[in-house]
Amino acid sequence: MSSVATADAEILPLTSALARERVGVGAADGRVVPAGAAQELVRDAARVAPPVLALEDISLSFGGVVALRDVGLRVAEGEIRAIIGPNGAGKSSLLNVVSGLYRPDHGHVQLGDRRFAHVPTSRLAGYRVARTFQNLALFKGLSVLDNVMMGLVHRRRAGFLQQVLGTPWARREEAASRAAAEEAIGFLHLTEAKERLAGTLPYGLQKRIELARALVAHPKLLLLDEPLAGMTLTEKQELSQHIRNARDSYGATIVLIEHDIGVVMDLSDRIAVLDHGSKIADGTPDQVRADQAVIDAYLGVAHDDETELAI
Amino acid sequence: MNKSVPALSTKANWLTPGRVGVAVLLVIAYGIIPFAGSEYVLDAILTPFLALALAAVGLNVLTGYAGQVSLGSAAFLAVGAYAAYNFNLRFPELPFLVSLLLAGLVAAVVGLVFGLPSLRLRGFYLAVSTLAAQFFVQWALTKFGWFSNDNPSGVIDAPTLTIAGIPFAGAARRYVFSITIVLIATFLTVRLLGSQSGRNFIAVRDHEIAAKVIGVPLLRTKLLAFGVSSFLIGVAGVLWAFAYLRTVEPAGFNLDRSFQILFIIIIGGLASIRGSFLGAAFIVVFPLLLSRLGAALLGNLFDSGVLEMSQRIVIGGLIIGLLIAEPRGLIALVDRLSAKALLKLRRPERAPIQL
Amino acid sequence: MFDYQFFIEVLVGGLLSGVMYSLVAIGFVLIYKTSGVLNFAQGAMLLFAALTFVSLVERGVSFPLALLATLAIMVLLGIAVERVILRPLVNQPPITLFMATLGLSYVIEGAAQLLWGTQVHGLDLGINDTPFDIAGVFISQFDLFAAAVAGALVALFALFFRYTRTGLAFRAVADDQFAALAVGLRLPRVWAAVWTAAGIVAVVAGLLWGARLGVQFSLSLIVLKALPVLVLGGFDSIAGAIVGGLLIGAIEKLAEVYVGPFFGGGIEAWAAYVVALGFLLVRPSGLFGQKLVERA
Repeated sequence: MSSVATADAEILPLTSALARERVGVGAADGRVVPAGAAQELVRDAARVAPPVLALEDISLSFGGVVALRDVGLRVAEGEIRAIIGPNGAGKSSLLNVVSGLYRPDHGHVQLGDRRFAHVPTSRLAGYRVARTFQNLALFKGLSVLDNVMMGLVHRRRAGFLQQVLGTPWARREEAASRAAAEEAIGFLHLTEAKERLAGTLPYGLQKRIELARALVAHPKLLLLDEPLAGMTLTEKQELSQHIRNARDSYGATIVLIEHDIGVVMDLSDRIAVLDHGSKIADGTPDQVRADQAVIDAYLGVAHDDETELAI
Repeated sequence: MNKSVPALSTKANWLTPGRVGVAVLLVIAYGIIPFAGSEYVLDAILTPFLALALAAVGLNVLTGYAGQVSLGSAAFLAVGAYAAYNFNLRFPELPFLVSLLLAGLVAAVVGLVFGLPSLRLRGFYLAVSTLAAQFFVQWALTKFGWFSNDNPSGVIDAPTLTIAGIPFAGAARRYVFSITIVLIATFLTVRLLGSQSGRNFIAVRDHEIAAKVIGVPLLRTKLLAFGVSSFLIGVAGVLWAFAYLRTVEPAGFNLDRSFQILFIIIIGGLASIRGSFLGAAFIVVFPLLLSRLGAALLGNLFDSGVLEMSQRIVIGGLIIGLLIAEPRGLIALVDRLSAKALLKLRRPERAPIQL
Repeated sequence: MFDYQFFIEVLVGGLLSGVMYSLVAIGFVLIYKTSGVLNFAQGAMLLFAALTFVSLVERGVSFPLALLATLAIMVLLGIAVERVILRPLVNQPPITLFMATLGLSYVIEGAAQLLWGTQVHGLDLGINDTPFDIAGVFISQFDLFAAAVAGALVALFALFFRYTRTGLAFRAVADDQFAALAVGLRLPRVWAAVWTAAGIVAVVAGLLWGARLGVQFSLSLIVLKALPVLVLGGFDSIAGAIVGGLLIGAIEKLAEVYVGPFFGGGIEAWAAYVVALGFLLVRPSGLFGQKLVERA
């Protein structure tokens, strides 16, 4: 577990860089329980630093169907924030709004200190936001290495003529991309497959490739849409660890949509629960687990006249 | 099998099988064929093959690698041919190679203009809009006499190829010119496809939304694909007019020609440079084989009408068959067969022990 | 003085020829709506139907019998296409299927002309082509007849979709293939039926166009005129095909008469495409087409 557990809902995980500085903890190990004074510093840091992501009153509808209804969300730096809810609750839609693929009917998205009515998708990489997709968005015609290198495309400045002619500048950029990609590939244990065509690999590996591609630029905000869907238990454990490492080693803030409640409870610092487009709960895993509205809508308790909902 | 073209290796090991193959190819291409090849083979088979192969490489960049379907490629053949003709005619001081390059650039610009819709359109809608290029260019070249120096019905007679004062008149010389241009152009294209730009093409093709999210510049990437593709096809058009037919008219750049180039890349293999050459070879050689076969089997019954129609049926059937059985084209078939053959070579059968 | 009479004449002529375009476009829509395939071979099917009919008639077969025979052949063709081409390619992306229909168009064109020859045939449907004179405006009798036939066919299809089980199946498959499967509809059967319906449309359109232009190879190029119609009307809407056809027909004729002279004429060849293109940039899914929501 990564965070200090107290009743105060505003506590940040200790791996927030600012807090780390103040408390003098090494970057690699963020799991030190601070003494009382340090807790105060962390709380102050939480109030001073703007949230990495803030959603205000996001509403979205398609034709007559309401996908999101006045949803608000704050994600603090270094958090692992889960969004859960039944199918059709609007979770993916929310992520799509954050990545600018959908334009909300009203509301704002705040990324760091920038506020948007409609997030410009093509500038996400520049804002150090990265995401994965529910239905796997790999480039099947590229090798694993090439796929991960694509995660750094926003840094490439040399034009196509330079690339064709092989100027030193172009070569340097290529080498740098390659090195960073190899590092991310190593981080996710994909090195053996790196020259293989991404489209030919098994599903579990493909999911890891997508994560590597999202991580390679060391994003500040990482949006993961059902990263563990369709995986075996072992694969889930491995990937959960990778996600945790991403936050711990790369310092990313993570927003995670996931259906596996066990994983969610274990991995996240705070959870938001959506149902039919509205947020019905928001808090720590313990708080959410005990929330009646959440249980009724999603987690499910066997009533006399209903069948048990198993997740 | 890694389909993405790898970045050029900086390995110290110089003599890879690939390079030896290329060297052999060059020796044959330059050292043997121009001298041993008959006039007929050079004129009617190799030169058109080279022009079509280059056009196919161009279309492959756009459709195979970048995933933008184009049905109007013949328009750019025409633009290249007519542009080179006009540059050559109106600026006789310009060396021909410069006219060639300028013609390619003109084709690229036209390609960019007709490629702009690709920003809003996808799939069928884009394909339909590329047809606009096809019809418009054909019409403009026929309607406005200026393009053909006021020759009747837009026909142009390309003058003799002259590079640096040396005439490239005979079949052998025109072939050498063609293969040189094609080799250089293909080499540069391979470099482009192996670079980040090439990766961007494939990304846009495979998952445009993800590409947008990770920061691939969609507008620039698509326009680059259209521009490079049209440039290559334009240069192929110059070869078509100056090295092969030497007399061309707008009707020769019709929809059938566009489909022919599209069929070449489907048959040869989408997103495969080698496939483009294989497909072009097939398209050029196949009618000749078919007519020989038909004449042998059916004798007099097999006139040119029957030949043309049988050709249509076989090509159409082949397209369907390939799309069903081997969508990666003939080149995938060839690769599979040669891999099996190589495997056999490396492990020679041992003679059974005689007791 | 602006010649209103002439304008109306051109307009009406354009609208009527637009109906003929709609007819061809409807064949596309049927197939696209239910299977997502843009059938480039529709034009070849038109040619094949017209050639078959005309050749039978020339060999002495009676009009009704020839019509029936042609219809039967098109039905067989539809079933064959479904089995040989559609079924193996069922999970491929739409562009692959489009290219397969491109190949199919070549096969059908080649086969049609190999079978029946490549000469031009005249096709006489028994319509006297003296124009009607309505308040000084000349309207072609043939065009009116064609419009009536096309209208009747559209009405028949509308009834068919609404009131028959097969029609309902078509609509179900068009709406949601998976749901259709879930309620037990056999997709291959529906597709075979759809292609047959398109084949029937091809027969009607082929006969009408053949009577107008003569039965020759260029008939299959009518498909190229249908594409701008589909762009305007949306690929999956019959109403759109009708409205689009009318618009394209009218715009084409008007453009040729009023704008053409500035370009030396002949702009009919591409006017429709330029209009379609301009339209696409403003409204990428056509007037009636369904807006595609990109699901990430």
